[in-house]
Amino acid sequence: MQLTTASQVVNFARELEGKSAKLYEDLAQVYEENREAFLSLARENKKNKLRVQRVYTEVISDALETGFSFEGLNPEDYSIRTELIENNSYFDRIEIVTDAEEKIQEFYLEAAKQSKSFLTDISRAFEMMAKKRVERRLKLRSLQGTISCQEEDDLLREESG
Amino acid sequence: MPVLEEPIREKLVLKNYVGGEWVESEGELQDIINPGTCKVIAKVPFSTEAEVNEAVKVAKKAYPEWRKTTPLARARCLFRLKEALEENFEELSRIQTMEHGKTIDESRGETRRGIESVEVAAGIPSLMMGYNLEDIASGIDEYVIPQPLGVFCCIPAFNFPFMVPLWFAPYAVATGNCIVIKPSPRDPISQVRIAELVDEAGFPPGVWNVVHGGAEVASVLLEHPDMEGVTFVGSTKVAKEVYKKCGQTGKRVIAQGGAKNFMLVMPDADLEKTVSALMTSFFGNTGQRCLSGANAIVAGGDDRFYRRFVDTFVNTTSRIKVGYGLDESIQMGPLQSEQAKERVLGFIEKGIKEGAKLLLDGRRISISGNYPLTSFLNPTVFEDVSAGMTIAKEEIFGPVANIMRTEDFDEAIEIIHSSCYGNAASIFTSSGKSAREFQYRVRCGNIGVNVGIAAPMAFFPFSGMKDSFFGVLHGQGREAIRFFTESKVVIQRWW
Repeated sequence: MQLTTASQVVNFARELEGKSAKLYEDLAQVYEENREAFLSLARENKKNKLRVQRVYTEVISDALETGFSFEGLNPEDYSIRTELIENNSYFDRIEIVTDAEEKIQEFYLEAAKQSKSFLTDISRAFEMMAKKRVERRLKLRSLQGTISCQEEDDLLREESG
Repeated sequence: MPVLEEPIREKLVLKNYVGGEWVESEGELQDIINPGTCKVIAKVPFSTEAEVNEAVKVAKKAYPEWRKTTPLARARCLFRLKEALEENFEELSRIQTMEHGKTIDESRGETRRGIESVEVAAGIPSLMMGYNLEDIASGIDEYVIPQPLGVFCCIPAFNFPFMVPLWFAPYAVATGNCIVIKPSPRDPISQVRIAELVDEAGFPPGVWNVVHGGAEVASVLLEHPDMEGVTFVGSTKVAKEVYKKCGQTGKRVIAQGGAKNFMLVMPDADLEKTVSALMTSFFGNTGQRCLSGANAIVAGGDDRFYRRFVDTFVNTTSRIKVGYGLDESIQMGPLQSEQAKERVLGFIEKGIKEGAKLLLDGRRISISGNYPLTSFLNPTVFEDVSAGMTIAKEEIFGPVANIMRTEDFDEAIEIIHSSCYGNAASIFTSSGKSAREFQYRVRCGNIGVNVGIAAPMAFFPFSGMKDSFFGVLHGQGREAIRFFTESKVVIQRWW
């Protein structure tokens, strides 16, 4: 099923933020040494969730094309894991949340592109959310302890571009 | 797709809100039916004449004290109301879907628009300032003081049960008047919920009142000698009557009537974006709004463009998902009632009979979910519609789009001007010159340029011309402030 209405897309965005927050809260419980870093990511997820909701309810109007702004987004293309896999290594678990961040970024970028003509404020908020993902992935890489200079340069280039 | 939770879980029996109290009416009760599910969700009373008179009496009694309340204090009541509306945003939106049938996105949009009126009216200390000039003659000054008048009433239509009364009521009370609202008996629950929040916001008793009922209640309000002014939104036929009646009884009036809005598509328009915008215009709110697109005119002799427009329009329309508005995936809800659907069906029949080409037949109903089809229709598209046809002239108030074609821009303007209505018109073009020409020449109150629903924001007047509007000043913004006040002029000299 494709997401075509603003209500659906915004709700899906909130769902993704919620699922992502839960993953970080789970990680925080397991890895005491990085607890604060994971909790801070979860807190940011919750802020994003609120922000997306707020942008939607504050700009929506009876005259805007809320039912017809999105060509369609397939939620399956952006599904993310909701639980940590038992017996996985720390490294693999960070890989999972990094993948989730990438998926969420892809979702926001596509949703921003589709809503650009009619729901400009929502589109801008989505773009901002996508941008944040770059910073978050950088943070995750540093938490993983495997970040190379080249990767960091690439990510930073992506962020500024 | 799961359906959002319904906020109304048990059948409500609505009461009048008079003098800060919830008063049971002795009038007959009528069912309020959720058009999506066909379930009875409430019962609304048709208040008696005595009950309506009592509401006006109470409002009149509250007026002197409310008038003396400082504009700042009145604004604070509105700020508290705004906060209460924000806190209950989602519930208020879902109620609209339940009582009217519109989609949840549309209801939330309506809620936002209503709240914006409260926000604008809360600026009353600035908005209500008068003006002055020193030394109109040596040593003599002159100034204007806008003053409230007393009791006003608001008689809204059914199509925006939350927002339309808020085009007027916040301005009426912000300026120091008292108001009696008679919601549409078809969907009055939103106004009951708003009154509950008005109560919480601490408005003094009698300032904001709600009495339920139909045409008889409206007549009592219209003829009441203590009623200073009336705001009405509905059909042109009734708007004209209201205007006449107010003229006879010396009341000021804003009477907004029907519409038949033209969407002019120029061959240089961005086709994809235009069609998307037109979907909301023609089928948003299931076509039940006075700003809806009704006739799409494609101008110019470019056959290829015309064909591409028609094909894209029909193809996009055929994919509109129809169903119960609390299902978030739905793009178009049911008509507000079975009677409204019957009326639209009558127009479709007429269109066929008068020779319009039926490209998409909304009578073939296909909806998402398992709901009674009682009030549902799918979108209908007609081609080869001429200006003289009934479907091109009369307000259908449903999901029916007529496609017309003209040689050029000038012929399109002629057709637009042949309509008795003048509520809204839009042009879709990439030419600034065409847009400017359209804005300059078209005799309609609300003009859209690449905008399908030319709905003025709360700080602008909701305009209208010809048979779409009767009165001088419009609702919303500064014009509303002017409507709800009289200018007192003082000329002052001191020896």
